[in-house]
Parts: sequence; C-alpha cells; structure tokens
Amino acid sequence: MTGAPVPEPGNSPDTPAGAPGTSPAATLRPARPQWRETLSLLLHNPTAAVAGVLLLLIVVVAVLDDTFAPEGANDISVADRLQSPSWSHPFGTDDLGRDILSRVILGASVSLRVGFLAVGFALVAGTLIGLLAGYYGKWVDDVLMRFMDMLFAFPAVLLAIAVLAVRGPGSGNTALAIGIVYTPIFARVTRASVLGVREEVYVRASRSVGASDWRLLTRHILPNAAPPIIVQTSISLAFAVLAEAALSFLGLGTQPPNPSWGLMLAEGRGYIELAWWLAFFPGMAIFLTVLCFNLLGDGLRDALDPRQRTLMAGSGKAASGSAAVGGAAVAGDAAVAGDAAGSGGDR
Amino acid sequence: MSGDPVLEVEDLRVRLRTPRGPAEVVNGLSYTVGAGETVAVVGESGSGKSVSVLALLGLLPARVATVTGRALLQGEDLLTMPPERLRQVRGPGAGMVFQDPMTSLNPVLTIGRQLVEGIRAHGDVSKSAARTRAAELLREVGLPDPEKALDRYPHELSGGMRQRVVIAIALSNSPSLLIADEATTALDVTVQAQIIDLVEKLQAEHGTGVIWITHDLGVVAGIADRVLVMYGGRCVEDGTVDDVLERPAHPYTRGLLGSLPDLAAPAGPDGEVPELTTVPGLPPPPTDLPPGCVFWPRCPVRADPRCETEQPPLAVVSRAAAGATASGALEEGSRLPHRAATWCTEGGQG
Amino acid sequence: MNDRSASDVLVSARGLEVHFPVGGRGLRGRGGGVLRAVDGVDLDILRGETLGLVGESGCGKSTLGNALLRLVPPTGGTVTFDGADVTSLDRRGLKEMRRRAGMVFQDPFASLDPRRTVAQTVSEPLEVHGLRSGKRERAARVGELLELVGLDPAVAGRYPHEFSGGQRQRVGIARALAGEPDFLVCDEAIASLDVSVQAQVLNLLRRLQRQLGLTLLFISHDLSAVRHISDRIAVMYLGRVVEIGPAAAVGRDPQMPYTQALLSAVPVPHPAQERARKRIVLTGDVPSPSAVPSGCRFRTRCPYVFEPCDDVDPALHAAGAPGQLAACHLHGVVGTPVTRTPEGVTADP
Repeated sequence: MTGAPVPEPGNSPDTPAGAPGTSPAATLRPARPQWRETLSLLLHNPTAAVAGVLLLLIVVVAVLDDTFAPEGANDISVADRLQSPSWSHPFGTDDLGRDILSRVILGASVSLRVGFLAVGFALVAGTLIGLLAGYYGKWVDDVLMRFMDMLFAFPAVLLAIAVLAVRGPGSGNTALAIGIVYTPIFARVTRASVLGVREEVYVRASRSVGASDWRLLTRHILPNAAPPIIVQTSISLAFAVLAEAALSFLGLGTQPPNPSWGLMLAEGRGYIELAWWLAFFPGMAIFLTVLCFNLLGDGLRDALDPRQRTLMAGSGKAASGSAAVGGAAVAGDAAVAGDAAGSGGDR
Repeated sequence: MSGDPVLEVEDLRVRLRTPRGPAEVVNGLSYTVGAGETVAVVGESGSGKSVSVLALLGLLPARVATVTGRALLQGEDLLTMPPERLRQVRGPGAGMVFQDPMTSLNPVLTIGRQLVEGIRAHGDVSKSAARTRAAELLREVGLPDPEKALDRYPHELSGGMRQRVVIAIALSNSPSLLIADEATTALDVTVQAQIIDLVEKLQAEHGTGVIWITHDLGVVAGIADRVLVMYGGRCVEDGTVDDVLERPAHPYTRGLLGSLPDLAAPAGPDGEVPELTTVPGLPPPPTDLPPGCVFWPRCPVRADPRCETEQPPLAVVSRAAAGATASGALEEGSRLPHRAATWCTEGGQG
Repeated sequence: MNDRSASDVLVSARGLEVHFPVGGRGLRGRGGGVLRAVDGVDLDILRGETLGLVGESGCGKSTLGNALLRLVPPTGGTVTFDGADVTSLDRRGLKEMRRRAGMVFQDPFASLDPRRTVAQTVSEPLEVHGLRSGKRERAARVGELLELVGLDPAVAGRYPHEFSGGQRQRVGIARALAGEPDFLVCDEAIASLDVSVQAQVLNLLRRLQRQLGLTLLFISHDLSAVRHISDRIAVMYLGRVVEIGPAAAVGRDPQMPYTQALLSAVPVPHPAQERARKRIVLTGDVPSPSAVPSGCRFRTRCPYVFEPCDDVDPALHAAGAPGQLAACHLHGVVGTPVTRTPEGVTADP
C-alpha cells in the first residue's frame, strides 16, 4: 500500500465473477476516457473553470483578430490622437491616433503566438531531456542535467538578450529565446516526475513481460509522469507572455509598428500621466492572461492529482498528510481509517 | 475477567459520509473487555473492525463520521467526553498500537524524546525521572541496551524493535486498555511470536485489557480469550476463542476458517493437499449493504426464507447447531455465551 | 541435486549472487559496504513443479525471484532457463525469455498502470511479442485470458481503480499468462489480499498450474500458504537457501534449526493446539545482509550452535527425507572453510 495512487471510487464496482457462456471477446476501448474525468473535475473547481473559459475567449479573439478588431492595427489618424476611452474608441487612441482596442486584440495574437511557440519549444526539448535523464540515469543524467544547470544558472533575461543579440530581434527569435530559457525548468520537472514513476511496480511488471525501453517510456512512464508537466506548461505560458512583454518592452522582442502587449506598454510609458489608457489596457491584458494561466495551472494541479480525486468528491480535504491510504477499492472505510490512524498515531 | 469491565461498548454505530453516499460502517456493536482479558476483533478489510475502535477514541474526523452508542471506559463515556478530557484519557486510559510503527513514531525525534514526552504529557514528572522511566519501559519490552536505544532514531531500529518502542509508548502511562490494530501484521512470524509473548507477559503483570484487531485467525487462537467476528459492520459471531474457532456457528466464520491453508494439514492419499474452501465473491461495500442478512449474497447455506429479507439478531447458539462435543459442556453462569447472527440452525455445511 | 537429468530442470541457479553497493558514495567510491541480498544460491526448479520459496523479510527471496528473470542483474554466478544462460542472453533472447517467464507481483494496487485499462494491460505482452495480429484477435485473446482467471471479459474496458485487490491480482495473473509462459514467478502474490480472497487466488494459481502445465515459483513469507500450494519448499535465510525438500518433509520434519524455528512460530487457528504449541523463540534480530556472519550465517541466533559453525560455511547436503537437503553441520560438517584474510573474515574462497 505504499505510494499507490489512491483509487478513485468507481461508480459501482460490481463483482464480475467468471461468466461462462458469454462471448469472450473483450473490448479494448476504455469505458470512459480519463481526460473526460479530469475535465469534469476541473469544471467542478469554479476558479479554474472561469480562468479556462476566459483563456478560451482570449485565444478565440487572438485567432480571429481581424474579425474582432474594429480597425487595423496601424491605421494612423493624426486627428484622433490621444483620445480618452469613448464609445467610438472604447480603449481610447494612442499618440498616432491608432485604436488601442484594435491593437490590444491584434497584439493578443502576437503575444500568445510567441508564448505558445516558446513554451512548445521548451516543452518538447525539456521533456525529452528530462525523460532521458530520469529514465537512463547515471552519466546520461549527469551530462544532460549539468548542461541544464548551466542554462539555469544564467539570469533568464540576460540569456534571452544574448540569444536575441546573436539571432536578431523579431517575434520568432523571441519565442526561441524564451523557449531556451524555459527548457531547463521542463527538464527538471520531467526528470523529477520520471524518477518517481520509473520505480513504480507497474513499470517493472511491464518490463517483465518483455516491453522495450521505448515502449516503457512512451506507454507507461510519460503518461504517468505527465501531470506535473501539464501544470508547468500552464504556468510557463503565463511567464512566457510576461517575458515576451518584457523583451518587447526592452525593444528586443516584437518590433514596431507591429502591436504586442509588451511593446504597447513600453510605448505608453511616456504618456502615463497624460493618457493613462495607453499603458493601462495592454497592461490589463497581460495581467488577465497571466492570471488565468496561473489559475488554470493550479486547477489542473488539483484535478490531475489522483489523491485529490477521492477527496474532492465528498470528504473534502480531510486527509492531510496521510498519503498512504491505499486500501481496498471496495472498503469505503479504509480511507478514513487510514487518515485517522495517521493523525491519531503521532500523539 | 474479574470485577468491573475495563471497557463496555453498547450499540456502537458509525456512519461515514463518503463520496458514494452515507456508509453504515459499524452497525450496533456491543461488547465488554474485562481487566486482563484479550478480546480479538476479527474481520476482513471493510468489515468495520478498525473504524469501530478508532471511533471509541475519537480518532475519526468529525466532519465525516457520526458516532452513536455508548462506550464506557472505567465508567466514563468516551463518546460524550469533551475533547480535552478525551486527550487526557488516551494516554493513561487507553494506549494504541498500529500496524505500521513508522506512522506512530516521529522520524526526526529520538526514541527517548518521544517516550519522555509521552510520560510527561500525562503526569508531573521531572525530565530525568521520565528518562529513567523511559529506559525501564524499553527494558520491559525487551529492547537490548535500553539506555543507548533512548538516543537512537526510529530508522535505526528494525521493524520488530520499532513495534516494541511503540508498545512501550502505549504502555508508558500504564493504560487500563491496550488497543492493537493489526500490530503484528507487518512483522515476520518469528518477530510476531516475540511481540505476542511480550504483550501477554505485560498483560499478566499489569492486568491490562487488550483489544486485538487482526485478520489472522492463527494469532487469535493464541492470544484471545474472546473473539468477535465482524462482517459488513456487524458482529456476526462472538464467544470464547474455543467456541468460535473450534465450533463456528456462522457460515462466514466457517468460510473464513476453511479458506486458511493449514500448515499441519495431512496430505491426501495421493499426496495432494485438498483444495481450500473459499468464500465466493467480495464483502459488500458499506455504502450498499444487502437488505437481509449481511452475508446472504455470499452465503453457501441460505436455508431460511428470512435470510434475504431480515437481518438475524445475535442469538445464543444451541450447542447442537454449533456441533459442540460432549466435553465442551456449558458451565452455566461463569461462561460467556456463544452467539451468532444467523438464521441457520443446522450445523454442518459451510 | 545431481541425480536429475538436465531436461527435468527448467530453471537453475548456480552460485547466484546479487550484491548491492550501499552507503558512502565517496569521491573514490570508498566507504560503502556491500549488501548481500542473494549470496551464493544453488537452486533447481523442475519442470511442472511448484517450488515454494519462504523466508522472512530481507532474506533475499524477492531479489532471487527477480534475478532468475534478470529483472535484477546478478553480480555473480549463473542462471539457466531451459538450458540457456540467462545472464548472457542478447536482446532478442532476453525478450523471448520474458515471454516464457511471467511474474505476478505483490501489490495489486501498484502493479497495474493506473492510466491503462485492463484490456490494455493484459494485451501488452501480446503486442510486445506480436502474438496476435490485429485488434480483434487480441481482444478475443484478452477475453479468453480474463475468463481463464475468473473475470468477466466485459470488464476489459475498465480502469484498475474500479476493482478490488483480488480482482486486480487476477488481472495481474492474466497479464503474466498472456505470453503463454512455461514459468511463473509469484512474488508475495497473495500477501496484500484479504484472507478469503487469498484462498481464492491460491486455488486459482493451483488450478492454472495444473491446467497449463506451468512451473511455478511461489515466493511468500506465509508458510501455511507455501505448504499448501508447493510440491517442494526452499527456505532462505540471509541470502542463502538453507533448506530445500519435498513440501511434506520440510513441513513435517524440518532439518535446519532455522526452519524449525520458523515453522514453530506460525500460529495455527486451533486454540487448544496453539496453547499446547512449543515455540522455538529465536533471540535477537536477523543480522543485516551487509554484515553477514562468517561460517554458518545462522550461528548468531541458532540454539544448537557448536564449534564448526564458526569456521565452516555449511553447504546444502542430504538430511532427513529423500530429496531433502539442509545447510547445517548437525547433519555432518560439509562446506567451505572460512578463510581469514588481513581485511577480515570472508566466507568465500
């Protein structure tokens, strides 16, 4: 009963005794996909659900930016410059008379694209490195992880600036730079998770029937090591959006006149006393997106935690600190008994 | 087995809120534990045997558990006691030993510190006096070199030695009741034998009442005076250890005994050991107990029409039904009744 | 052990050692000791028999079971499986051996991947070894296997958490049988099950062993269960097999003092017998496998210890019933004299 994921009580674990006479063909398809369960758990958490819906909206807006934006991003109208928010320009206009709402909407696609590209790069590279390091251990682990440590030891912004200095500014390179900075984080998270999963009995069981390393890695270790990686992805997206804003703010990311939230923030800085809306709305966009990614990350952490599954449903967070509840799936009292044992024992 | 009982439990009921609805985990349990007496509570996982004692000591989370009934520990009702009083009672009144000694020991504190804390929490003792007492206790539970052991950490001891320490802590305030919940399950048989000897010796010296919760009927045969067999949150059979194990009256008890491989079982004429009789199926989940006799869905007998609809009460077993031999004659009065909750009146089968 | 023809023996170990380095990973790898989990085991497992392997926790019985299947790499000695040297198998040979030798694990809650359905778990060996081509054939085979272990094929699409311990263990057995193995290692396969469920699984294993002509290595600390299911019993102590023989003989008349003590400590569910029983209570704890006593490894706890025990490491030799072997000087001093080197005492030549 050690370290076993606490089983989520099934709907009704009936007692399938041998049923001679029935057709022996078994369906290989799962009765109920696990991602659906995760989703339903996530939707039961109001904060995460709201964050998820908001993010979905932001993404939809970013994808369909041309349809949503009332004006072009670079439609200059000197006559309308620095207008405060009004019905015709809900977010106001900037120093060149460009509609800020349109630029925030169009900037969303730039910011999010850079964010997704960067995190996508870090996710693939970091997960691969972490998987190999964690699974093979020994010198593979030493070599890969020391290299990651070196990357990690660099101040993140400095590293990104260095990459951009070599490759030149632009949103693609910004994504690459941020991706490189985040790779060690994913490598570490993945490795830590793999180290735990690698020792699971079911991995040994799978090896005992002759499964290859590749099969173990792809079918057993990665899926079971995934939850913390998924959570990290969500949280990193938030930081990537921030990083893109920071780099653009420094003039190294997206180049004018293209809209990006960070760049708009930088441009609006000079007018902060004269026209607060120039910086305020892109700032709010960054704030909202980052907040939503973080909240979603927290929600995912809970929804993907198998321990959480037993507890969320009924008894709340009764079982603090006693992870080794295990117990028989049928024994409804086993879980509670284990908790009480855990809390009562250390008087 | 003389004088007032140490513990008197009457109609104990525990209901838990679970994700799958309310679960009747313990349904009307009554028993007494006399001074110096050992009562074994036997059952499989989910039978409610552990929950029933955790409930007595208020160790179930109040949010999810509703406990009713009466449980008098030396005349004081544990179930209506204010929490502070209950905390006071837990040490000197009732000590507990769990299956995994590591859950009861704090890994970052030395053995000595944990013992001393336990002793001083329930009495006005100086530190040095408590330490002397701690060393004495360790000697009593058979730890070699107790003075040195006081400065050791739990991980430096073997499983058997750790369990001895836990017993020492449980006994540090000379409780009138000791509850052992699967205390030897995780130990090897040779170590288990040592621990059982130890508990029997200490019990004889201090007159402690013992509740021994286990699934191992072999251990029960060795240690218990009385046995209580639990199934589906109910006591389905109780009586003296000889009555219950040698003349089981409930089909479940019989099934349980039949499913034990016997070390001494003689091989058949062809050198074959006969196949074990098993109890088919699984125990019912406490959220979904059958309407009639709790054992009905798995019962091989089912002789009575009431089995399916009505829970049989715990009734004294007629000797014929239990298949008692002439030598097992009933000495009226002094002996405990042998009771079983079953509609089966026939012996045999099972 | 020598009078059997080679074709009777399916699995055989000679001088098998599994040593793990422990502690002090200093700069030059010094300071650490060696944990002798398996320390010179000679063992023959006969075709079609059930060999019970008993011993207390830490005696190395699980490591031995894993080493026989090369799930733990042996550090010394040889293992042969059906005549082939397991320790030198190439990738393909190893894969084929893994098909022919299955394993059932102790904890049915940990041995099934929680994210894979019963069908995916059971069909893994089929996919790995290409035993059934096509999804439909595999599904049919999974259904057969589930029926074989007493589960309803309709549950194939469910996840492990929906099952009880006994049912999960049946799934684990079905997985181990999917490759149509000759040899099945059950590593404490009933230890974490309820009593009545233990009996169900014991009966199932016995039935399968007969029905499929399996060779079974049944590893357990539960002497009664081992006695019940085994044809022969091997007893391990501190990394070594110290007694082996027909189950009835070892159960009735053990020749090694350790086996005697072990048997006498097993409680039986008969109160009168229990009260009358004379237990041989061993003093002290099992020594650490990283500090194995020289000479006879049981001498620190043995009630009969006498002079040669210090100096001669006893070998298994005939004692008691026909086919029964014990590593004990009480039955004649046979074994390897202890050599004393400047670094200390070593039992190995």
